[in-house]
Amino acid sequence: MRVDPNYLTTLSTALDQSQLNLQQMTSEASSGVRVTSLGQDPVASGENVLLLNQIQQDDSFTESSSLVTGQLQVADSALGSVVSQLTQAISLATSANNGTMNSSDVKSISSQISGILGEVTTLANTSYQGQYIFAGGQTATAPFSTSTAISPAVTTYSGDQDINYLQMPNGGKIQLNVPGDRIFMGGGSNSVFAALNNLVADYASGAVDTSKAVSDTDALGTALNYVSQQRVTIDNSITHLTAASSVVGSEQTQLTAAQSSLMQADFAQVSTQMSLDATQQTALEDVIAELGSSSNSLFSKLQ
Amino acid sequence: MGTISSALSLMSQALNADQAALNVVANNVANASTPGYTEETPTWQENDPILINGVSTGTGATETGATSQRDRVLEERLNQQQQLASASGSRLTALDSIQALFTPDSGSSSSTAGDIGSDITSFFDSFSSLEAKPTDGSLRDAVLSSASTLAVDISNAAKSLNAQRSALDQQTTGVASQVNALTGAIAQLNTQIQSISPNADAGTLEDQRQLDLSQLSRLVGINQSSTEHNGLEITTTSGQLLVSDGSNYQLTSGNVGGVTHFFVGATDATSQLASGGGSLGGDLTARDTDIPNALASLDQLAYSVSTQVNSLNNAGTDANGATGTAVASSTTGAKTLDIFSPPTTLVANTTSGGDDVSGAAAAMSVVMSDSSLVSAASLGQGTGDGSNATAMANLANQTIVDGQTPSNFYSNFVSTLGSTVSNVQTENTAQTASVTQLQTQNDALSSVNLNDEASAMTTLERSYQAASQVFTMLNTMMNSALNLGVETAVA
Repeated sequence: MRVDPNYLTTLSTALDQSQLNLQQMTSEASSGVRVTSLGQDPVASGENVLLLNQIQQDDSFTESSSLVTGQLQVADSALGSVVSQLTQAISLATSANNGTMNSSDVKSISSQISGILGEVTTLANTSYQGQYIFAGGQTATAPFSTSTAISPAVTTYSGDQDINYLQMPNGGKIQLNVPGDRIFMGGGSNSVFAALNNLVADYASGAVDTSKAVSDTDALGTALNYVSQQRVTIDNSITHLTAASSVVGSEQTQLTAAQSSLMQADFAQVSTQMSLDATQQTALEDVIAELGSSSNSLFSKLQ
Repeated sequence: MGTISSALSLMSQALNADQAALNVVANNVANASTPGYTEETPTWQENDPILINGVSTGTGATETGATSQRDRVLEERLNQQQQLASASGSRLTALDSIQALFTPDSGSSSSTAGDIGSDITSFFDSFSSLEAKPTDGSLRDAVLSSASTLAVDISNAAKSLNAQRSALDQQTTGVASQVNALTGAIAQLNTQIQSISPNADAGTLEDQRQLDLSQLSRLVGINQSSTEHNGLEITTTSGQLLVSDGSNYQLTSGNVGGVTHFFVGATDATSQLASGGGSLGGDLTARDTDIPNALASLDQLAYSVSTQVNSLNNAGTDANGATGTAVASSTTGAKTLDIFSPPTTLVANTTSGGDDVSGAAAAMSVVMSDSSLVSAASLGQGTGDGSNATAMANLANQTIVDGQTPSNFYSNFVSTLGSTVSNVQTENTAQTASVTQLQTQNDALSSVNLNDEASAMTTLERSYQAASQVFTMLNTMMNSALNLGVETAVA
């Protein structure tokens, strides 16, 4: 039977291999990452790309939603102030309509309502970080301006009807604004500015045309309700956004956990493997040293 | 009838034979570490008996030379496995360099740099952020910077792949001259062997020839067949003739389409050599298949993302209220609101239809420097509108790259590349193990085993001692015969 006299070469190749294994385990333990190259786990590498994509999208949505929440809250509080101003205007108009006031009181009511009109106009021209939030898509210029050239005065809207949405990562979208003309000039009897301008004109002379004043006051009441309804849209968006953020946040946590378990090193396994490799390496070194040092051919015995 | 003097000459012959055999043993021990050396054993031949007066008398033995212990079939088998292992080994080396360009992102926040998958997501996410606040200058800047990161990473990867391709090309060019040197040496050895020992193993010359064959196998895939009078014919695996007895045919190289091609005679043998084995085969496979595949995928990704984003950006309204050039998206030429550099030459790919997108990845760059030119608003809308930004963000979920979304496309690219590497790794491990096994078998047969030599030497030494003892004995007898019984001091 024949024997390979070069078996020591095979042993040294095995020693190289075990050193390589030990190196790999060491780098895995120090970096904490299991898959350091595509060939090690191709399927995991592909999965990893998709998971990271989803995680990053969720992260981006969370950031955007905190940006947007501020704007929505400003819009909501502006509309809240508008509602309280309009309520005050209605009570002033009602007191003027009951016929118990004299001419100068009526005129002062007219100027108070004119003051309220100015307030409401300012509120309708609210800007957030330099952009007018009730202007639709034309956010660079203030949307509402009142011209007193004729009586009753006319308030015009220079914005548009554009609505912006924020996409959610899993489909669906959240409305980010309501165009100003829809809130404040809702067409016909829903127009806040028309009602206010009319009332100012009604009380300006001091004499009250009761039937007209009453119908204008009713129009203001209708417009107030209309504004409150539009405010609901903004409130819904805020609620929706909060709910979506928490859902997305918990999805992100789950995905991050999945991605970690896919890519991170299992330290228990790594350290077990490392100790096995180290043992094997020591054993091989001992064997090679023993075989190399002892006389392994008959020649040394033939003295 | 034997005589004392004939016995004496028999013994001196025996002593010569033993000396010759000891020479063979000594030669083995001296060449124990010589690469390619096969162990030789001395051949003993009994001399013909002679007939004198009807009585047959033996005439001893001679040592007629040494026989190499070699198995030609085993050596050929070893060479074939060596070809396969070399091919997969060199291909694996090249693939390792390729896959190092696309190391998977481990997910910790500090390591996202350089990962194209994360860049794609960040780029489209920057549009998602923009849709919430279209007029925000820092969000617009973020769009351009994430576009730039994406373009830089893709173009760097493509440029690295091109550089690797050139490096492999350089590597393969040197192989042709090495192959020619070896085939020349083998042809010369063929001539020598055929003239010196046409009917038997050629000993040292055969050792050299086998060594040259083994080195040649590591370089290119070859088939060998024996011809008459111990000659050898070598062809490439696909049949091109390299050596035929005493003549060899050169492997020449030339530049075809920017890469080196190999010719045997007038035939372009490059694609056959690529699948034939040897380190040349592995390098050619990596150069002509693996790298071009990776580049083609990157080109497709770069082209699709660039052209789609450019089209959409030109179809919207930027922060200054201007709109872009409305040109059909398949036409080249710069448009006013391009974010990425447009493809400069679009050649229709007549074989597979569609456009030839090669070079798109290496050339990908961001040409827009003013972030106010990002069209967040749609056509005709005010600057506060974000619907065009939404449309560009939604490109991430549309099948714009070869029927897949950009992330899915990149994910598939990465797993396909990883699978290729993994498969070649497995092949290489199996083939290397097979080579080791065959090498062990071959060494067991042909390597010098010092124990065998020691015992052979001991046997020959004993036989020499015995022969010289007999010689001395015969000398004493001859002395007695000469002196016819009278005791003298003559020895």
